[in-house]
Amino acid sequence: MTTELATLDVQGRIARLTLNRPEARNALSIDLLSALRAHVEHLHTLSGEKDSPTVVVVTGAGKSFCAGMDLKAVLGDPAAPPKLLGSLAELCLRLRALPMVLVARVNGAAIGGGCGLTCVCDLSVTHADAKLGYPEVDLGVCPAVVAPWLVRKIGPGRARAVLLRGGVMSGRDAAAIGLVDEAVPWADDLDAAVDKIAARLAEAGPKALAATKGLLNTLDASLDEAMSRQGAELSAGVLADPDVRSGLAKRFK
Amino acid sequence: MSEHVDTETREGVTVIELRRPDRRNALTPDMLRAFEHAVRTFAAQASTRAVLVRGEGPCFCAGFDLSLCEHDAARVVLAELLQGLSACARAMRECPAPVVLCAHGAAIAGGCALLGGADIVVADANAKLGYPVVTLGISPAVSAPFLARSVAHGAARARLLHPKLITGADAHAIGLVHELTDTPQQACSTAADIARTLAAKPPTALRATKAWLNELTPTGDADAGLAASLALVGGDEERELLARAWAKK
Repeated sequence: MTTELATLDVQGRIARLTLNRPEARNALSIDLLSALRAHVEHLHTLSGEKDSPTVVVVTGAGKSFCAGMDLKAVLGDPAAPPKLLGSLAELCLRLRALPMVLVARVNGAAIGGGCGLTCVCDLSVTHADAKLGYPEVDLGVCPAVVAPWLVRKIGPGRARAVLLRGGVMSGRDAAAIGLVDEAVPWADDLDAAVDKIAARLAEAGPKALAATKGLLNTLDASLDEAMSRQGAELSAGVLADPDVRSGLAKRFK
Repeated sequence: MSEHVDTETREGVTVIELRRPDRRNALTPDMLRAFEHAVRTFAAQASTRAVLVRGEGPCFCAGFDLSLCEHDAARVVLAELLQGLSACARAMRECPAPVVLCAHGAAIAGGCALLGGADIVVADANAKLGYPVVTLGISPAVSAPFLARSVAHGAARARLLHPKLITGADAHAIGLVHELTDTPQQACSTAADIARTLAAKPPTALRATKAWLNELTPTGDADAGLAASLALVGGDEERELLARAWAKK
């Protein structure tokens, strides 16, 4: 029996979407992205049904939330990076379009594309010692797919400083600049904090939540498909550069 | 072009320094022209991996040298200063390499406006920052297109309309400053460290990322902002308020 790369568990008003590739720190492979996508499409079909979930907790199995794009796996095949980046861009749009409120339970490292996923969620909670950030420029990669989501989350000025400086930051620092909405002091406190938010949202009016989220998506042009596609193409374009690829290959050795 | 702006490129970092410390680096039209020229030419060279903008002496920049306008009844100089400021902010933004700015000590009015063009701003916790020019009958509208792409719109509104200086720590809290230090000296060394670190990163990805961020948050209304500031130049209110300020000196 093969393990599912992503799982969806619906309990009443609260659903839980889990990246389930702990042995690879939940790195986003093409297969993991398509597993996530299938669950997201299923959630879309549930929306509008009586007693359908109003909250989706997004999290990672194991110690990490998500280590980012699985670039190592796609370096050998020139056709793979555009597909991988295109899949991420589309997944982000479909996640954002869900009428449910998405709560990222950032249980551990959320890097690059993984940090991008936390920004696509409506709320995010982590612990003080988690590592978050965008080290793409350190690897010679352009974080073009996740950039619009970071701009929406923390504003253009801070997004500029974060993306151009690269590196990672602690959960505490992430909370200080609004990259996450809350950082609990200890990892052990995370579940209590997330459960409290989810329970509160589960009691709210589903229509009011969906209408509010829909309006916010309009205000910040969240569902701009052309921009999203352009980001994926740009990022793939940088990855197609032979110097960039050989630099990455050296890093992965 | 101006003895008060110095440019030097070393190990991939182009340093552009305001050098008029006896006047707290107060900006003249010549300095702004030299600054823009430095960004557009030296800093835009392929060999430049990062740009560091800083000021000599105890503070980054006290703003326009308004003493130049005192005997300029036609206000030609003030118009030149506003145009030069807008051109400098644009040049930094359009510069392909990332721009780090050290706002140590103070960055006031036109000095603070320069922050809007930079990618990463460093300041010390007690630095004085702000745009208190409405008290002189001058509109900081020229800065609005850039400030609105730096901090949240609510914060930009408050900073441009309320003629109050805020501390570096407050500026960090609203996102106008990205890296905070305890002392002005630390701000200078931290800014230099950041510029060197950026210069060591792979340049293609860095440039592509900056260009994409520019595209995501365009400043196409920069001309409108400049025009709004220029529209008041030489007007009755500005004449009266500036005359009152000079009389107080």
